[in-house]
Amino acid sequence: MTTLEVTGLVKDYVIRSGLRRATLRAVDGVSFELRPGRTVALVGESGSGKSTVARMIARLEEPTSGRITVTTPDGRRVDDRTYRDHVQMIFQDPFASLNPFHTVQHHLVRPLRLHHRDASWPAVRHLLERVNLKPAEDFAARRPHELSGGQRQRVAIARALAPGARVVVADEPVSMLDVSIRLDILSLLAELQREETLAVLYITHDLATARHFSDEILVMYRGRVVERGPADDVILRPRHPYTRLLAAAAPNPDARGRSLDLDVPESFDTTETYDHYQASR
Amino acid sequence: MTNPGPVTKTIVDKRAGGRWRAVLPAWSPKLGIGLGLVVLIALFGLLGPLFTGDPSAVRDIGLTSPSGDHLLGTTQTGQDVLAQLTHATRGSLQIGLLVGVLATVLSAIFGIIGSYAGGALDEVFSLFSNVALVIPGLPLVIVIAGFVPADQRGSWTIAVVLALTGWAAAARVLRAQTLSLRNRDYVAAARVSGEKTWRVICVEILPNLLPILASQFVFAVILAILNEAGLSFLGLGASNSSTLGTMLYYAQNGFALQLDAWWWFVPPGLIIALFGCGLALINFSIDEIINPQLRTGHARQNDSDVTAAKPSSGNRSAVLTVTGLDVVYRADPPVHAVRDVSLTLGRGEILGLAGESGCGKTTLAYAINRLHRPPAQVTAGSVVLHDRDGQDIDVLALDAERLRTFRWSKLSMVFQGAMNALNPVTPVRAQLEDVLTTHRPDMSKQERRSRCAEVFRRVGVDPSRLDSYAHELSGGMRQRVMIAMAMLLEPQVMIMDEPTTALDVVVQRGILREILRLRDEMAFAVIFITHDLPLLLEISDRIAVMRSGEVVEYATADEIHRRPRHPYTRQLLRSFPSLTGERGLFAMSTPERETS
Repeated sequence: MTTLEVTGLVKDYVIRSGLRRATLRAVDGVSFELRPGRTVALVGESGSGKSTVARMIARLEEPTSGRITVTTPDGRRVDDRTYRDHVQMIFQDPFASLNPFHTVQHHLVRPLRLHHRDASWPAVRHLLERVNLKPAEDFAARRPHELSGGQRQRVAIARALAPGARVVVADEPVSMLDVSIRLDILSLLAELQREETLAVLYITHDLATARHFSDEILVMYRGRVVERGPADDVILRPRHPYTRLLAAAAPNPDARGRSLDLDVPESFDTTETYDHYQASR
Repeated sequence: MTNPGPVTKTIVDKRAGGRWRAVLPAWSPKLGIGLGLVVLIALFGLLGPLFTGDPSAVRDIGLTSPSGDHLLGTTQTGQDVLAQLTHATRGSLQIGLLVGVLATVLSAIFGIIGSYAGGALDEVFSLFSNVALVIPGLPLVIVIAGFVPADQRGSWTIAVVLALTGWAAAARVLRAQTLSLRNRDYVAAARVSGEKTWRVICVEILPNLLPILASQFVFAVILAILNEAGLSFLGLGASNSSTLGTMLYYAQNGFALQLDAWWWFVPPGLIIALFGCGLALINFSIDEIINPQLRTGHARQNDSDVTAAKPSSGNRSAVLTVTGLDVVYRADPPVHAVRDVSLTLGRGEILGLAGESGCGKTTLAYAINRLHRPPAQVTAGSVVLHDRDGQDIDVLALDAERLRTFRWSKLSMVFQGAMNALNPVTPVRAQLEDVLTTHRPDMSKQERRSRCAEVFRRVGVDPSRLDSYAHELSGGMRQRVMIAMAMLLEPQVMIMDEPTTALDVVVQRGILREILRLRDEMAFAVIFITHDLPLLLEISDRIAVMRSGEVVEYATADEIHRRPRHPYTRQLLRSFPSLTGERGLFAMSTPERETS
């Protein structure tokens, strides 16, 4: 099956201010594996480097060092030219990720054609129906401004599926949507993942949805993975102080009246990754 | 499209207008007059020469005023002014169009390609256009035009010279816009799907630049016609050409002004002015596509039919009573954004206002504060603030002056995205003290300083940060500064519109803690607006759930958590997976089957 392996990923940004140059390490030695039929959640706060990881996997950014390798079911390594046939991305803001000038049909026909797939109307209709945009005829002719946020994100998901990718990176796919449709979109992603045995990287700052929609969770803090393990273990039995802080800070209706005081240290120890898999071994 | 099938073909055809509607200006009198002027003058230049005779034919009648034979009179050498005018208009339009196209192409190449590619290419292109921008245009044109021998100075030479000096400003505008567009997600999405660079530029970016390109083109045409007229008037124009500028040049040399031969110099001047005016009017309409804010008319605010507030019913514990409030956006068709909303806010209470985008929660907050702007209008209801000293204030009936003093001192507001509402060019101290000088004019400088330091300490920011500028503070810090500013005058009610939505959970928690602590210390009441229902369930006393402008459920937080009545409340609660509960169990504490 198609798997994506990330090894020792590092990304440095050079910050120039006047004559001074400083490097900011946004991602520092991140390694993980995306396997078919499994969802890995990458959680962390803004600035933790999780989106940078997504953009490197989508090849929108060049890693400073480290490797991203994709292997097809027959054991071949995917080369640069066909990389995007296998790996696709869903962006955070469906209001920004669709070009206001083009129809839904255009957004789907282009990737189909670019990846040498059948770009005929039945293929487009099939894609639209996969993401529950029915009647497909009606939606195909619309432009992004004629769609609601949820419908736009469905189009974005269909676009990611169009090249026939088996690895999908979803960068905060629901954070810009209204709360009542978030679960619908996440459920749709989960359903597609099951049916097509996709390997999904779900990037989010929301611990609750990470726990409910993924098999494995990686917690990122300042560019490093500080804790990893099965979803329930990481959220219910957090071991790293940072994960504990995140879990404690999330609003919790069942804990009404608890003290809102949090003991926030200046920084956390990031030298070691707490790995639930190794601990249970 | 290879074969999208007959079905979509017809649909796409039917909606073909949609794509262009976004880039075409909306019809307005301005646009009508502009287009009318431009079309008339263009037709005059295009068709006029066919009907008038030879413009250079010399007659021995000399300078004559307009008459039946010569509608616009003749020049010193007896040439027909009307015939000259038609040819000159044609010549000027040709040059204008030519320069417009050349300058737009140049600016597109330097502005778009450089900024899209980024890096060294962008630096070089940007440097080049900056240098071209600071070279004074007309003097350079004069030098270049003077340098080229008169007999080689054709229209093309002049057009190229004018284009070379006129493209740089447009390139800067295009560069700025492209820099913003290239970071849009849809451009990144096109790259991820494997589009080639030239296709990304031509298909994804260029259409969104069309309004700007169009306005820059129009501007280039105006400039070219004016500059060419200037050059020709100085005798540096194209040789053997006939433009409005050369007409003015000959009129000047023929002492038209001194001889009072207005028919010789007024018509060409008038055509230049009218054409420029027409193009400028068209440009206004194009600007409205780029910046839709210019489009909204200024409707008059009229809230007179609001019911007068009834005298207080002796409810001493309430601080704010909203009764039957209706807010309508006077659009076509009118949008009823807030319908018959009644809320009571107790002293020291935290009232949560929950709802999704477009449910009217922000409109409600603005209306309570009377910050709503036309076309929004309060059509019914009342808002009464029960002051600490026992007086009732009918907020909707306050006149402008009393409203101004009322606003920040009795009722303050933390706006959505408030952390971006700080003025970037003055230190935050100045902004805080400004509030005090406006509302507490008798406060001494010393008192103001200590008050600012005090509110900073209250929200947990070190007073030394008062001298910082907004960009030196983190997002959470800026949000705290905004809250400090809102409580500067010890208001009795604070309305907070999504105060923590853009912040990380840890920072959010710190701010919530401060709000609750301040509530306990200063006994003000808070209306907390957010879509984050679990957050409200944890911190607020009562919660009002809004949908389509109506409050569908209004109960204590505990009640909503345990026994939500309205289906929409239940739907909202189900949208939040529980962090620690069983998988599949959501924010509602009782599973759905028990309530239904």
